Amino acid sequence: MTEAGTSRWSRALIYALLLICSLAFLFPLFATLSSSLNPRGSMPSLLPKAFNYKNYVDATTMIDFWKYLRNSFVINAISVFTSTFSSGLVGYAFSRIQAPGRKLLFMLILSTMMLPNIVIQIPTYILLQKYGLLNSFYPWLIWGIGGTPFFIFLYRQFFSTIPKELEEAARMDGCSIFRTYWNIFLPLSIPVMVTVAIMNFQEKWGDAIVPFMFLKQAKYPLATALTNIGYTVQGNSELIVQEVTAAGSFLFMLPVIVVFFFGQRYLVEGTVSAGVKG
Amino acid sequence: MKGSGLALNLTEKSRRSIAFYLMISPWFVVFVLFSLYPLFYGLYLSFTNYIGLNLQTARWVGLQNYKNVFTDSDALYALGRTVMLTAVYVPISTLVGLLLAVLLNQNVRGVGIYRTIFYLPSIVPLVSAALMWKMMYANQTGILNVALKPLGMPSVNWLSYDYATMSLIITLIWASGSGILINLAGLKGISKELYEAASIDGAPALSRFVRITLPMMSPILFFNVIMGIIHTLQLYILPILLSGNDLLMAPIRPNYVYVVHAFQQVFAFQRFAYGMALLWVLFTVILLMTLVVFRSSRYWVHYEMEQEE
Repeated sequence: MTEAGTSRWSRALIYALLLICSLAFLFPLFATLSSSLNPRGSMPSLLPKAFNYKNYVDATTMIDFWKYLRNSFVINAISVFTSTFSSGLVGYAFSRIQAPGRKLLFMLILSTMMLPNIVIQIPTYILLQKYGLLNSFYPWLIWGIGGTPFFIFLYRQFFSTIPKELEEAARMDGCSIFRTYWNIFLPLSIPVMVTVAIMNFQEKWGDAIVPFMFLKQAKYPLATALTNIGYTVQGNSELIVQEVTAAGSFLFMLPVIVVFFFGQRYLVEGTVSAGVKG
Repeated sequence: MKGSGLALNLTEKSRRSIAFYLMISPWFVVFVLFSLYPLFYGLYLSFTNYIGLNLQTARWVGLQNYKNVFTDSDALYALGRTVMLTAVYVPISTLVGLLLAVLLNQNVRGVGIYRTIFYLPSIVPLVSAALMWKMMYANQTGILNVALKPLGMPSVNWLSYDYATMSLIITLIWASGSGILINLAGLKGISKELYEAASIDGAPALSRFVRITLPMMSPILFFNVIMGIIHTLQLYILPILLSGNDLLMAPIRPNYVYVVHAFQQVFAFQRFAYGMALLWVLFTVILLMTLVVFRSSRYWVHYEMEQEE
């Protein structure tokens, strides 16, 4: 259906713009894919010269790929699991339970979203060193238990939309506050939970800098390994093998893209139901 | 209150309060120990002469580090670059984000595919994005130059002095898909009747955009501007990854932004105290800018109704 006032020409323009922008957005991904299939040392090309999957084999053997992958999985598992549940609990408390100081504490959460991470990272490094927590995954466990301000906010928005009657009915039936949360509110929040888990995964999977600061090389996750070790020629750490790097970065982003495609429906549903509007 | 009668003596109200505090305690404890304490510990360190080795013997030096920030020509240069980058990038990205969202809001076939394509780059981890764009921008073997050749364009050294900031901005815009989605959600929220009424009155497309879309979108644009400013001022990973060691070896480079300088001071020279002073200056600047933008918002942000819970 054409809207009133939209001419054939302006529709053609819209399609042309959409197409051009799409190509521009896809181009780097496509170029990297081509590059990852090219033989080592060849000039880059727009279309792959061959289907050379050997770069992908090299990507997993030239560095300690599987070890870094395992570290990534451990960090993500700890972080996503704890943060998803903890943020939900805190978000629930802030949306459904009246208590003195609630507004003030919530303002505190909102304002920490503005706090630049780097301001606390350096002192955190010194403190972790003091407590002997450097080069371990414990900090991720602790941060996870603390939840994430933005996710707490998302849960809180979502829980605020659920009618009061549900809670009152549960209370009549003798449900404790925590059981009301666990048996009624938490199951209702599954779209938000999935959204939060996906966002959390994307963020932690891509984080190279925090592990770089707090961990030693043997415990690096893949993100840090890719940036700080990289695929270089043996005996010359300056000479980067582009084709293998391309293959490596493709393998690295694959889980995020897969998770995104499977979770897309939830992502949209979750953010809409949590009412992220102006 | 005696322990034995505790459960009975408590009113419903105080029981709920206790439940509230118990439920937020994981957040609160971790927040105090791992955000608030490091924050103020860092502030304290910025008044000492701590340099990485002398934590036991570090002593109070007052405002010395802060004085150094304002006499450090590298810091001032980096601050200038950062402010310039923000001043250029935030308006461009806000505009591009709005225009792309308007495109996605058209009644066209396959709009879901376009939406996914625009959003895809923003889920690509920063590390991958940086590696990809580094390959794109490479001088001799860069894919961008290879692609431009058949078009008769001259080869460009994308990460050189003249082009590095532009290249950085291109990469940032490429990865800004989440902003587009927020804009799109806002556009969908504008009621169709407004446009229909304007159409009946014979308002052309441009004036419908200026008179309806822009004012209705202003709260969301405002949100994007604030987030854009905050993020751009703190930028450091992407410039470091794009330019690699070149950026850190030669301080006076186009993408040697402020936090890169702080990062360099801390990690290359172990000047922890000075690095903290640099970061606290930035933190203050961000807070002040956010306040100013918030204050100015009442003059240009249009709220349809009073904000409610």
